[in-house]
Amino acid sequence: MSIMEYNGGSVVAMVGKGCVAIASDLRLGNQALGISSNFQKIFPITDHIYLGLPGLATDVTTLKEQFRYRVNMYTIKEEREIEPEAFAHLVSSTLYERRFGPFFIEPVMAGLTKKPSGEYKPFIAASDLIGCLNFAKDFVVAGTASSKLFGVAEGLWEPGLEPEDLFETISQTLLNAVDRDAYSGWGAVVHVM
Amino acid sequence: MPQTRSFDPYTENGGTILAIAGQDFSVIAGDTRQSEGYSIQTRYAPKVFRLTDRAVLAVNGFAADGNMFVKKVKQRLEWYRHAHAKDMPLRAIARLIQTMLYAKRFFPYYVYNILGGIEEDGTGAVYSFDPVGSYEREACRAAGAAQSLVQPFLDNQIYFKNQVPAPGTTHPAYLSLPDVLSIVIDSFTSATERHIEVGDGLEIYIVFAKTRDLQDFETIRAKNVHLIQELTVAEDGERIFVLRRDLKKD
Amino acid sequence: MDHFPTNWGRPRNDAFDAYGTYPIQQRPNNIKDNFNGVQRTQQPIVTGTSVLAIKYKDGIMMAADNLASYGSLARFKDVQRLHAVGNHTVLGASGDMSDFQYIQSLLDDLIIEEFTEQDEHTLGPAEIHEYLSQLMYGRRSKLNPLWNSLLVGGYKDGKRFLAYVDLLGTTYSASTIATGYGSYIAQPLLRKAVEGREDTLTEREAQAILEESLLVLFYRDARSLDKYQIAKVTESGVSISESMALRTSWSFAEGIRGYGAQTQ
Repeated sequence: MSIMEYNGGSVVAMVGKGCVAIASDLRLGNQALGISSNFQKIFPITDHIYLGLPGLATDVTTLKEQFRYRVNMYTIKEEREIEPEAFAHLVSSTLYERRFGPFFIEPVMAGLTKKPSGEYKPFIAASDLIGCLNFAKDFVVAGTASSKLFGVAEGLWEPGLEPEDLFETISQTLLNAVDRDAYSGWGAVVHVM
Repeated sequence: MPQTRSFDPYTENGGTILAIAGQDFSVIAGDTRQSEGYSIQTRYAPKVFRLTDRAVLAVNGFAADGNMFVKKVKQRLEWYRHAHAKDMPLRAIARLIQTMLYAKRFFPYYVYNILGGIEEDGTGAVYSFDPVGSYEREACRAAGAAQSLVQPFLDNQIYFKNQVPAPGTTHPAYLSLPDVLSIVIDSFTSATERHIEVGDGLEIYIVFAKTRDLQDFETIRAKNVHLIQELTVAEDGERIFVLRRDLKKD
Repeated sequence: MDHFPTNWGRPRNDAFDAYGTYPIQQRPNNIKDNFNGVQRTQQPIVTGTSVLAIKYKDGIMMAADNLASYGSLARFKDVQRLHAVGNHTVLGASGDMSDFQYIQSLLDDLIIEEFTEQDEHTLGPAEIHEYLSQLMYGRRSKLNPLWNSLLVGGYKDGKRFLAYVDLLGTTYSASTIATGYGSYIAQPLLRKAVEGREDTLTEREAQAILEESLLVLFYRDARSLDKYQIAKVTESGVSISESMALRTSWSFAEGIRGYGAQTQ
């Protein structure tokens, strides 16, 4: 079976009106055997950027630390907080560095871009395991339940959802999708920014 | 390890089918695209077929097997009609499909069947099958290329999974026809967006129990006059209609 | 009586098989024939490439080139891959040409049988297509396919008919169909020109789009030929043209430098 399916797990991110949401399950398995129902896959990068890392669990841990290092270096050098779009490109280059021996992760990002006016603009992005970025306007999905997430999200999402409604929508999307996937589930976490 | 090339007697022709049972009606739908690999063979190849005034069969997977299987089922139904002077009841058709599929257990019909219609007791029914005949009666089922996209959506909208009813109320046991049709249409438009093998056109078959009042359907029919066709043959029995719609062609 | 000692039982091992029961005694398989049993699953040998067909105002038009290839060798350059079946139908074949010749003889016998009935019923394109579908599906189900992709086109009782059937028994119908490379290269051109306009497309327009498609195919399909025929089926019957030549233009070749991006 595929290495991407070894530990299981899924992530989804959605855009709303003046807000974004990112959600994941909490399962860590060893193929069909479930080991942990408390395995974190979404990490805060800054106050305004969250990164979801579905895929091989060892790479989840490695990459989260790698990005912590790289973002800290960015902050030190640039003397400012990294913006979501720049972070997405950082993710891309970090993955492409390992083009011929990749990390088995398909990252999902959600954030709020600071505009010159001081307003925040919703931002989501996803990447494949070698750094091809996808800047979607509606939602992004990744993980073992990705095809199920596509189906439910496409059915439930609409533009302009307020934070409370976006929370309900992303929650129902995640829950109903992972309930049809043997390798995802065992708990869930939702962040709304 | 010596290599041999051999003829593969199967291929996949894409597409998706879906059926939902109401209290006294049943809805069976399928897109009309037939593809092979990245090519669209045709934009209109029906996958849903009327068997009798009360039974509709949708077949999906390998189209050559699907079309041949429908032909053979229709032939068996015709023999039954001559032998018993009546149409075969729905649950009997379901059992027949099981035995016909299992007969080719070691060279299967590569099709996922969904049988929908009205039971002898007047309730809406959906039966779904695997390629070798394992079957079960359900309230709803999606099959085909976009099964993994559509089925979880149906779980949420039909079975109300992961939803808690408002305090003091319960979820309805059955949905109304307009609600069911909306869910079917939304399922297919969503699947068309995110799956390359789904699109072009949608055919929805609706089967009504004998006793059902068709008022709510007549309002739908009035708004979609040129899209709806009646296929009922007998008088005073179940009634069956087909509703055709376009789907995105890309 | 088995005279070959190597087919007799081997010594037993008392430690684990005191009665010499394992392996199970196999009777020798001494059947020998030239084909090692029955010949089934194959590969196509002498092959034809794309067949194209469209519906137009007066009926059906179908086109195919005159080449039968032997792998990469352009072996037979005067082959007719369009076959008239009765007065209402034309059959175009790509794939193995020997299997096509077999199908032609089956269909000719069918037409002769029908003729002798003299019951005023004639086999139309729908019946020919149904017959071929059952034939092709039946052969694939015995894992001994007729290695072809066939187009059946015709006109009967005021109705146009155009359908496809292949070595798997897969069938479909549309107003434009192409087999082989044609399904990738010609089909988009045919769909653009024909879809929605089947009832107004004139004979000249129909011929033009088929010829343009064959031209593009000759440029791009390495197993095609610039000699072709076009069949037309209308209420007046089936007519297959004489072989015609494609008017190609290779003058661009003189201006080529390098392998792609180079311009100097």
